[in-house]
Amino acid sequence: MGMLRVMSRRGDDRVTWDKQKVSAGDPEAVAAIREAERIFAQERAKGATAFRMNPGKPAERIETFDETAEQIVLVPRVVGG
Amino acid sequence: MSITLSWLFIVAALSPLVWILLLPHIKRWSQAERRAESLLHAVLTPEQCHQLRWCGYLEVPSPSAAGRVYRVPRARGSFVQVIENGKAIMRLCVQPVERLPDADVVVLHKLMIEANEEHYLQNANKFLCIDQMSLLL
Repeated sequence: MGMLRVMSRRGDDRVTWDKQKVSAGDPEAVAAIREAERIFAQERAKGATAFRMNPGKPAERIETFDETAEQIVLVPRVVGG
Repeated sequence: MSITLSWLFIVAALSPLVWILLLPHIKRWSQAERRAESLLHAVLTPEQCHQLRWCGYLEVPSPSAAGRVYRVPRARGSFVQVIENGKAIMRLCVQPVERLPDADVVVLHKLMIEANEEHYLQNANKFLCIDQMSLLL
């Protein structure tokens, strides 16, 4: 399963997709991944930073949506306080 | 009458204190905090969770500078301390543009430091510690 987590005041909003079903062309899984891609692009346009998280590996910043990632976390833009 | 007034006065005096003591627990019960806590536990190792719980901060080693550690506080509104070779050299003030649950803020700092340190430092407001300032003068 892949998961996109978007940090927000509600905790985090999540979109999940089944990678195997996506590669099998399952319409629901494909729709989920398209929704995740749309949210990714929308949040990036607002200045959010995206990190790919894979178990046992350090977090890695990514610029484009990676549907093979185990988990992508989007954090809002940061500013000096 | 005077006893009643005395009790009212004591209750009024103690209620902000009770509120301050209970607030973190009430916040933890909220759904947003619970979701943020679940992400925090997914991102941190058990040792890091223990450190955050018992010390009130999380130490994140710098990926670029050996001997530098960022001490990320659990409490909102506190500064991130930069420690080099055991000495606090700087305090950083960085915050998200959107209000986030406390646990998410800790995750944000950790991810930014580990995978986007340069950008993190560029955005932070920096306050040199007094020892360092005296060296500059």
